[in-house]
Amino acid sequence: MSDKIDIKNVAKLAALKLTTEEENKLEKDLSMIIDHFAALSEMNLPDEKISIHPLGTPLDLADDEAIIFLSHEEALSNAPESSDGQFVVPPSLD
Amino acid sequence: MKIVPTIGMETHVELKTNSKMFCRCNVVETDKPNENLCPTCLGLPGSLPVPNKRAIEFITLLALSTKCQITTDGMFHRKNYFYPDLPKNYQISQFDLPVGTEGSLEIVVNGEFSTVEIERVHMEEDTGKSTHIGSGRIDSATSTHLDFNRAGIPLVEVVTKPLIKSSKEAVSYIEELRQLVIDLDISEGKLEKGNLRFDANISVAYENDDELGTKVEIKNMNSLRSLEKAIEYEISRQTKMLNNNETIIQETRHWDEKKEVTSSMRSKEGSADYRYFSDPDIPNMILSEDFIDKIKNNMPVLPSEKRNTFINSGLSIEDANSIGKSPKWMGELYKSVSDITNDSKTSFNWITGELQGQLRKLGETSPPEWMTAEQLAEIISLVKSDKISFTSGKEILGELIEEKINPEEYAISNKLIQENDTEEISKMVKEIIKENSEVLERIANGEQKLIGFLVGQVIKLSKGKVNPSVAKELLLKEIK
Amino acid sequence: MNHYKLSISEINKLFKDKKLKPSELYSEVFERAANTESIIHGHLTLFQDENIKKAADADKRYENGTELGILDGIPIAIKDNINIAGYATTCSSQMLSNYISPYDATVITKLKDEGVMFTGKTNLDEFAMGSSTENSAFGPTKNPWDPSRVPGGSSGGSAAVVSAGSAIASLGSDTGGSIRQPASFCGVVGFKPTYGTVSRFGLVAFASSLDQIGPITNNVEDSKILFNSMKGFDPFDATSRKESKTKQPKLNNAKIGIIKELMEDGISEDAKLEVQKVAKLLESQGHEIVEVSLPLTKMSISIYYLIAPAECSANLSRFDGVRYGNRVAGNTSYEMMENTRAEGFGPEVKKRILLGTYALSAGYYDAFYGQALKARAMMKKEFTETYKEVDYLISPTTPSDPFKFGEKSDNQLEMYMSDLCTIPANLVGMPAISIPTGLSSNGLPLSVQIMSPANTDNTLLEFSQKLESVVSFTSLPEIKGGVS
Repeated sequence: MSDKIDIKNVAKLAALKLTTEEENKLEKDLSMIIDHFAALSEMNLPDEKISIHPLGTPLDLADDEAIIFLSHEEALSNAPESSDGQFVVPPSLD
Repeated sequence: MKIVPTIGMETHVELKTNSKMFCRCNVVETDKPNENLCPTCLGLPGSLPVPNKRAIEFITLLALSTKCQITTDGMFHRKNYFYPDLPKNYQISQFDLPVGTEGSLEIVVNGEFSTVEIERVHMEEDTGKSTHIGSGRIDSATSTHLDFNRAGIPLVEVVTKPLIKSSKEAVSYIEELRQLVIDLDISEGKLEKGNLRFDANISVAYENDDELGTKVEIKNMNSLRSLEKAIEYEISRQTKMLNNNETIIQETRHWDEKKEVTSSMRSKEGSADYRYFSDPDIPNMILSEDFIDKIKNNMPVLPSEKRNTFINSGLSIEDANSIGKSPKWMGELYKSVSDITNDSKTSFNWITGELQGQLRKLGETSPPEWMTAEQLAEIISLVKSDKISFTSGKEILGELIEEKINPEEYAISNKLIQENDTEEISKMVKEIIKENSEVLERIANGEQKLIGFLVGQVIKLSKGKVNPSVAKELLLKEIK
Repeated sequence: MNHYKLSISEINKLFKDKKLKPSELYSEVFERAANTESIIHGHLTLFQDENIKKAADADKRYENGTELGILDGIPIAIKDNINIAGYATTCSSQMLSNYISPYDATVITKLKDEGVMFTGKTNLDEFAMGSSTENSAFGPTKNPWDPSRVPGGSSGGSAAVVSAGSAIASLGSDTGGSIRQPASFCGVVGFKPTYGTVSRFGLVAFASSLDQIGPITNNVEDSKILFNSMKGFDPFDATSRKESKTKQPKLNNAKIGIIKELMEDGISEDAKLEVQKVAKLLESQGHEIVEVSLPLTKMSISIYYLIAPAECSANLSRFDGVRYGNRVAGNTSYEMMENTRAEGFGPEVKKRILLGTYALSAGYYDAFYGQALKARAMMKKEFTETYKEVDYLISPTTPSDPFKFGEKSDNQLEMYMSDLCTIPANLVGMPAISIPTGLSSNGLPLSVQIMSPANTDNTLLEFSQKLESVVSFTSLPEIKGGVS
């Protein structure tokens, strides 16, 4: 648990730009929280297949029938920038 | 030491459901952007995914038809990465419990059977479409435009084991997979529409090496030709590097259609950390025995089964394979015609060669609705029995394409019936020989080619009626 | 006479008896808001214009005897992470300060069909992450009992407005206690239903396997009415459940377990005494009180602070300035996303996203997130086993009475500890209710929490109503510095 957290890498994965000040504070805060997890991490828990769902709700697959939900205008209503009916963003490289 | 390539194919199949994978938005093609949307496929706050039952039926059908193990207690996972055409900045996919595993697909390569092993078949959703605006090159764009109509469309990803050995095998595999999804009626299977998209993973190694070489992913191959060329190029590139002891980097490369090379894609280094975890918005997907049985019991005829039927009718493996991948009408027509004529090869040649060729010239993709197997069989039989020449047969076929006719009646009324009577033909041969003594001399002196000229004269004399091969035979006899 | 502290059924009777009109009630409630919001700041927006028309329509229905049901004409406040079409859903974040929702959450559609009027949207900790509403990007909400103290969180606004009388009831959301804890701090009733009984479609997701929408009300009967009008399978929510037959706990002569681990360190003396006082009341009603042990509850905070941030790190990825939200420029789209998220999210949200991202990242999954899921499954087993021996479980709702502003904001672990008693019910997906039962030595509200097995919601509510009838607690505080 005492692995230093590579906060820059984590921020990159989360697409969050942090100031140096934020990086330092967060690294400390997160380390403190992670240390708190030590007791849990050390617990010997059985290796069974667990469901993420607390109650094992069964999955009801939906019938394949198309419905109309949002109009074109509604879909674009909150667009920060749009052009010719498309959302516009700065260029995205691959 | 010989260097051998290893190829693995990852193919995305767009399913032809009525609605999207995790919402009920329409999937109908439209050229109006951002028309078929809802909070879920647009990634609005508060939206939730609900999986499409038909899509699951389709993927189960595909998994069963490729002899996969079906995961009866599976789940969906979130694959996390940021990209503007991904509305939630995670894609709902499947990680360690895909619907199908450990399957196989029989293919035909160079006229022989081969098997491609399939590692997994899993369900996921498509992303939106990005259009880069600017000078056309991806790295000098000024902005990117986004259309989310495609976001959320069901995709099945089929991953083979890295055991494909050549570009031809890879191409045959894609052809087989495409035919399969068409025959199962789960996808339109049109490459040019993006219904089927594929990436290739290629590595090379010395023949007796236990381990595979560094694998390189190749993207952006939009046709089977590109696939073949790209694989060939990449194998050659990696082989050169291996021979020069250069290190091959694990990366993703882009196939450049114009330059016909693969090139490095700038941003990807190493493997991304997708932080897969099971999607808490979707409970476990339990596929009951009833569900699976119902699909098993309604399985359409598979391409491999069709191929076997064609082989049993007398075609070679290669021919059986090719007709199975042609438009449906061809295989059906072939079956009916060969049943009547009992001559599989001739029936095959007439349909896939002459008929298809003539239709193509007219810009047609299928024969007219009045054309029957009986009529075709009649033409074939007339030609086979030498009643008419092959050329006449082609002519009658051409007429049949234009209008409903009776081949034999047409042959008679258009005086196409050939003269086969040897006595009659002998007379004409003798006449021609008499009139062409100088030519005979030249033939005697070695100009064998002029035999054809004389045959032509006989045909002319008969006003095209004479059977050319009989005429030639008799001519040669006479000359001696 | 003021009607804004009456129960829904009392109001409905007045409507039907034509002693009160919906428009009159709405005016009272709106005036109460006008008098108190400058101090309390519970509402972020008020929907006055729309409601004047809606109230007039409700008036006509009651006049003609065509009223829709018991909720017709009742003004209810909605937490601002629940979508109402045509209005802003900000989640108290700069990221969404300009976002107008194009669709209704399923619960909103259901309440609209009942004739409910929405007073407006209430304040919360940004994206529902917090226990004090201090994390709101638009300023905190004050506790009506003492405006120098927090109302709790994350549904602080929803709890405060019910407590103050500027709404008859409200909706909140509960992920780790975000309905129950603020309800406790504000001296009102807060109910978290069984996971999956109320649709989450339209609730901005924080932690998908933990979130539930629930009512905050002046009394238990109101919670029961609201719960039953909202519950039900929703085809738009794959985690919502169809009603199933479950063995119900006893209403009379029940066995109630006091959770030992939630009566130990970290719980104030006042809170412990309150539980013991209520235990005695329950005994006087003929129930049996025992002590039970649920050892894994001690791990609650760790398990929760791994699962919730992990899920939220992915749930909040969609906020990138591409399709909506306050975009901040960038040279490339990735830069634009980075900048948008840097400016749009507050520090607590950033922290949880990073914590979650870390817990899921390559190499750490098994030790952290994977381990937390296993522990959660074991905790569920513990609860299930325990419910074979008892009908209900009881504990304090919060470790202490409401704390002062700034008291815990510098100590993250202490702040997280506020949820110690409430988190277990979310982790195991079972229903839980908080009922105010007394006052602390500071004169501030204290509550007890009652829990029951999954799918026993209405029985739990009925049982709690019976307890409520023997508890003496007066809900309306005098708002310091304001009108009472």
